[in-house]
Amino acid sequence: MLDVEASARRRRARASDYGCQFRAVDSPIHRLGAGSKLAIGTSLSAAAVLAHEPWSLGAVLALNGAYYFGARLTLSDLWRDTRYLLVQMGIVVLLHGARFGVPEGLWPGLRIALQIALFFVPGVVFLRTTQASQMMRGLRKVLPYRLSFLVFTSFRFVPLFARELRQIAMAQRLRGARLGARDLLDPRSWRDAFHCLMIPLLVRALKAADEAALSAEGRGFGVRPERTYFDALLAANVPPGEARDEAVRPAPIRRGGPGASRASEPAVARGGVAGEE
Amino acid sequence: MLRVSSLSYTYPGEAGPALSDVSLEVRAGECLCITGHSGCGKTTLLLALKGLLHEGTLTGEAAIDAPPEELDSDGVGLVFQNAETQIFCSTVAEEVAFGPENLCVPPGGIGERVRRALEDVRLTGFWNRNVERLSAGQKHRLAIASVLAMRPRVLLLDEPTSQLDGIGKAQLVTVLKALKEQGYGLVVVEHDLEPFRGLVDRWVVMEEGRIRAVSDRFPAEYATEAPGSSTPPALRPSTLPPLGGGHAQDELSPVIALGDVRLSYPGVGEVLRGVELSVSRGERIHLHGRNGAGKSSLLACVAGAVGCDSGSIRVAGIEVTGRTSLFGKVGYLLQNPQRQLFESTVEEEVAFSLRRLRLPAPEVHRRVEEALDTCEAAKLADRLPLSLSFGEQHRVALASVIAPRPEVLLLDEPFSGLDLRQRRRLLAILGSLRERQATTVVIASHDPLPRRGWPDRVLTMEDGTLA
Repeated sequence: MLDVEASARRRRARASDYGCQFRAVDSPIHRLGAGSKLAIGTSLSAAAVLAHEPWSLGAVLALNGAYYFGARLTLSDLWRDTRYLLVQMGIVVLLHGARFGVPEGLWPGLRIALQIALFFVPGVVFLRTTQASQMMRGLRKVLPYRLSFLVFTSFRFVPLFARELRQIAMAQRLRGARLGARDLLDPRSWRDAFHCLMIPLLVRALKAADEAALSAEGRGFGVRPERTYFDALLAANVPPGEARDEAVRPAPIRRGGPGASRASEPAVARGGVAGEE
Repeated sequence: MLRVSSLSYTYPGEAGPALSDVSLEVRAGECLCITGHSGCGKTTLLLALKGLLHEGTLTGEAAIDAPPEELDSDGVGLVFQNAETQIFCSTVAEEVAFGPENLCVPPGGIGERVRRALEDVRLTGFWNRNVERLSAGQKHRLAIASVLAMRPRVLLLDEPTSQLDGIGKAQLVTVLKALKEQGYGLVVVEHDLEPFRGLVDRWVVMEEGRIRAVSDRFPAEYATEAPGSSTPPALRPSTLPPLGGGHAQDELSPVIALGDVRLSYPGVGEVLRGVELSVSRGERIHLHGRNGAGKSSLLACVAGAVGCDSGSIRVAGIEVTGRTSLFGKVGYLLQNPQRQLFESTVEEEVAFSLRRLRLPAPEVHRRVEEALDTCEAAKLADRLPLSLSFGEQHRVALASVIAPRPEVLLLDEPFSGLDLRQRRRLLAILGSLRERQATTVVIASHDPLPRRGWPDRVLTMEDGTLA
């Protein structure tokens, strides 16, 4: 029972079951501005492309490791963020081995695979450590804030559509659609992937986009030419393990109307707003 | 507080109005519940009140008596039905701050607004929590907090309970009661009226875009069957009809047999903990339990979509080991039919599985007709499935699933988004499947069924086990 509770606690504390999602912890990387992170990321990605020798590639790997773990990301996060890159690495090494033989093809294969992975890692750190408002603030000089919001919010919907995709695939396979892993190797089954999987997913995506647009407009998005930016991470730092859902027990009810001031009431949340701009 | 006078609206390209001469008033600290069958104009009314209908023809007036003094407040706040698609940010505080940021509230004031809004919805301390880690109920309360942070005077909620289980609904009502006592005007659009009995001051019934009745009396004709009106039955094998056409041995053996089934997901932990279950052919099962209790995981195991870690699963005479194809034996209907529809006509949609079974064309045609008849969708045969109403899409998706005559039909929260009339209609169709095809029906739902006496057995799932 204790194990179950501990596991549930660990799960609640974790950022997300999906890769590349923002992780709300405080770290030197989190505190960097979006522009600085973009500059560091671009430099590291460029270094990954230019590194050809084992020593230089090793150095870029070490820098990426320091950058990643300096953001207080965990091994579990690393697994979620890079598992698909590992598949890519396996395939590239395998193809090089098949083309140039073993061991001649191994090093070039490993080098290219590592370069590709290291090219993407700084982007992963950027997504893991940058809040939507930070990103929009960082990009407002080069992009209209509506556009930067659109780009960043699309990442928030990745988990939603991953779940949708799994559900659709399960139901369509039971209707006879050829969507198994082996089926996808057969070009004759690709029509099913588009027809039975992508069309419903696209319809769901359009519907979700429609709902999201209405909701954003309902919350004043785009109504004014500018907006303010609030740094939620600096404003209060409540450890996730201490969060509690108070709707499960009665709580005192405040009087005085929706606009009434509550300045005299004790703050329930830990932390303060000292770090606000 | 909010006064609506003779509001009418017609969508672009539509001949008839979606709203006709709607007049109502919401006072401070008052809660109005608007109900009516799907398509009667409830959601359109909320969109009109929020000012989100830009095209089409809108006449009449909707005004707040006491307009907000400050420019950084919003008179009317609207919380949409689907919490998932109205959450844009990764963490709770960021999400709540989104509205005030758009209103150009100085960052110094946003923190206080966020804190108050989270207090109001009882999510104190969730500040940095990733939104992916919230339950459905918490996500909905977060959506409410996001609107409250904009300091509205009237709060509009579109079907707030549609994704929530019993406890989530109770928590939501507790929060709404507190908001009402603080002086917010509340307008709730709902199909599921029961949880709001103690909260609502006036009930508004809409029909074809018009207000048909406004009363302080609970509109029982739009509510689900009263709880306790029929005791959930125990297994009644004697009520199962005699089945013909199969081998006697087949009919005696259970169509679903689970032995000590365990399933865990990496990083999530055990979601099924030693589930034992035996279901007879033609039996009707209601799998009941809270969100996250393991209902969907159990259905996925029975459908052969997910291999269990240990234990045995036998479905329709097939041993399910790992991922096993049960195509033709098991049908699965998802909560939202749009996830299952992709063909250009309803007829093609229903015929898809039959063609994959390589049935001869006359047999395909016969079974398509049969499935559409069963699902009361014969008139829709030539229509584009995605252009149909939600209720019609539901029936077409069901027809496409039952056309191959599966031995087991699994339905995951099939009543979500349907009004009471549509729910009863769906249940009647599902009820006819035992007589027509001897199909075993398993409905996973966090709500009681619209007719409590419908299932042969109600199984309660709790924390990965069957109670």
